[in-house]
Amino acid sequence: MAPLVSLRDVDFAYDERPVLRRISFDLDAGEFIGIVGPNGSGKSTLVDLIDGILRPGAGEVIVSGVATHKYRRRDMAREVALVPQHFDLDFDLAVREVVEMGAYCRGKDPAACGDAEVMLARLGVADLVNRRFSELSGGEKQLVVLAQALMQQAPLLLLDEPASALDVSHQLRLFDLLKELNGEGLTVLCILHDLNLALHYFDKLVVLSEGEVAAFGPPDDVLRPEMLEAVYGVRAYMHRHAGRTYLTFSPRLRGERRGRVHLVCGGGTGAGLMRELVDAGYEVSAGVLNALDTDEETGRELGLQMAVEAPFSPVGDEAHAENLELMRAADLVIITAVPVSHGNARNIAAALQALGEGTPVWADEGLRANDFAGVTDGIADAGVRLFAGEVDLLEAVRRGEGAAVETTT
Amino acid sequence: MTRLARTGTWPGIILAAGILAGCLVLALAFGPVSLSLGRLWELVMAGPVEGDLENAIFWQIRMPRVLVASLVGAALAVAGVVLQDLFLNPLTDPYVTGVSSGAALGATIGIVLHLSNLPWTTVLAIVGGLGTLVLVWMAARRRGRIDIFVLLLAGVTISYLASAVVTVLMIRASEDMYAIVYWLMGSFSGRGWPDVRIALVAIPFMAVPLFFTREMDILLQGEKRALELGVEVERTKRLLLVTAGVLTALAVSVSGIIGFVGLVVPHIVRLLVGPGHRSLLPVSLLVGASMMVVADLLSRTVISPNEIPVGVVTTFVGAPLFVYLLRRGRRV
Repeated sequence: MAPLVSLRDVDFAYDERPVLRRISFDLDAGEFIGIVGPNGSGKSTLVDLIDGILRPGAGEVIVSGVATHKYRRRDMAREVALVPQHFDLDFDLAVREVVEMGAYCRGKDPAACGDAEVMLARLGVADLVNRRFSELSGGEKQLVVLAQALMQQAPLLLLDEPASALDVSHQLRLFDLLKELNGEGLTVLCILHDLNLALHYFDKLVVLSEGEVAAFGPPDDVLRPEMLEAVYGVRAYMHRHAGRTYLTFSPRLRGERRGRVHLVCGGGTGAGLMRELVDAGYEVSAGVLNALDTDEETGRELGLQMAVEAPFSPVGDEAHAENLELMRAADLVIITAVPVSHGNARNIAAALQALGEGTPVWADEGLRANDFAGVTDGIADAGVRLFAGEVDLLEAVRRGEGAAVETTT
Repeated sequence: MTRLARTGTWPGIILAAGILAGCLVLALAFGPVSLSLGRLWELVMAGPVEGDLENAIFWQIRMPRVLVASLVGAALAVAGVVLQDLFLNPLTDPYVTGVSSGAALGATIGIVLHLSNLPWTTVLAIVGGLGTLVLVWMAARRRGRIDIFVLLLAGVTISYLASAVVTVLMIRASEDMYAIVYWLMGSFSGRGWPDVRIALVAIPFMAVPLFFTREMDILLQGEKRALELGVEVERTKRLLLVTAGVLTALAVSVSGIIGFVGLVVPHIVRLLVGPGHRSLLPVSLLVGASMMVVADLLSRTVISPNEIPVGVVTTFVGAPLFVYLLRRGRRV
């Protein structure tokens, strides 16, 4: 079957400023697709191109087999309905009148137009039909505009950030509703900002970045932390909880990478530092950690590079070598107050080796109290700087005392 | 504020038509010579008769004057509705497009050249008005689209330019100054059947917007939303702008510049029947006609036998009414 919408190498520029470049993707009938991307990445422009309101500078936008610029507006409105981002009306019209405007493209035959009240009932707000539009709340207005768009009876519904003005309950209700309409055969293409909603509701996502499609596919594949960091310039953490995946974010502007810190930790002694350092803009690695260790899980959520050994196993040669590599690449190695036993004693040895090769090594004084392998007695003499605890360590890092850390910025 | 005609289109239209009929009767009956209702009926039935003074007053003076006033009022009100809703600007009136100033310039040239009032001064006024519309249009057209805000600015600018030229002409031809000023102030004094014939041309143009009430409703949501809903926005806008321009030019050419009707009537009617054009347009047409007929009646009776310029009357009546309605109504 031919795709409902097909974009082929679409370029678009406002005056001389390019907005979209080489956009190509297909939309099949019945799909439920989200468009995400930073502000100014061209999302609204893309939607306007599909609705034929804008004409591509190069390439073609094809809707139901016909290029958009060949449509008359009324025919276009029968193919594509759009729920705009901003909608208000300075005039005192009745909700019924506003909804009925959506049937304009269906001509004057009332049978072909459908009934405003039935449509509002479909959205669960039949009682609004005799109210004044100007008296409605933001959420109610959004539903009325959706009803207006649905009156067009077009097979494709475009939405431009329909949830931005809604509280969380209205947001969920709206997306449940869209999902339901999609189940009845409506193809939905929706711009949204909330990546967690995007993750939960949509079959596929288009990620736009600086006017190009950065990714297109199922949300789990598309919304990876690396992708989000590249596109939004933030740290994204993916958590799995009770069978659901969700994302959290912390700000870190692109280009502010400050240096690499390698953590020798385990048993939860490094989790706090990991987050603090990542949030402060450092690139953090860790190792060797056992899989399923608390620190290993935190590191995985944060998307850190780690040398990992099998659960409950002593550090093997391979992991040890990888760990050494990570330490060499780092500007600073920090050893937390991790309990040291024969299983992970090689991590201390690796740190000392890195120190010998010129990487500064700092350690939490608590380390020595938890040393059951007797490998940390001489570390201060070897040149490891000792700190009273995590707080002091962090402060020293922030002050930039790890000279090597700062010089690499 | 509650609406009078929330329930349908026809009650409002019928009520407004009744009011217009009443205003027409009043305007035909009163004047320096008052006529009773019975006498009015006799005169209507008799038709124009030679040698009867009352018959001559009724058929040759009052009837054409009242008809011109009602047609001009209706034309300005319809143009006002169209322009306010196309510009989405409540302060717009038929004169912002520059059409009236262009028409005034045309008429002034006619007066200065001592051309006959009919047809030449009127023709020059129409040419001036429509010429201005074309100029403003060209200024506002960018890549095949009409930029409504540029149109507004260009209209205001060209208005000033035309007014400046009129002023220069008035100073150069000081003996015609009185005639020019009087024309500019607007009046229905001495309008006869030839003027009625010109004003009648406005009727088909008044009808044009009535075929676009759905499009105009949808355009209240903005041009982009109208495109999304399937309206051929550019075509509709062009047609309606030209219609409003022609209506304004015709009105100004037979009556001079009469302020406030085109601004106030759409607002008053919107507050009464709502912004839906199926009611707003026809009711505005009828109310505009009524208001102009009453204003003309007042202008020729209040300080009879002298006349107050009708534009002064419309402003005196319209301004307080407008302020009152603005304060009572929530939205315009």
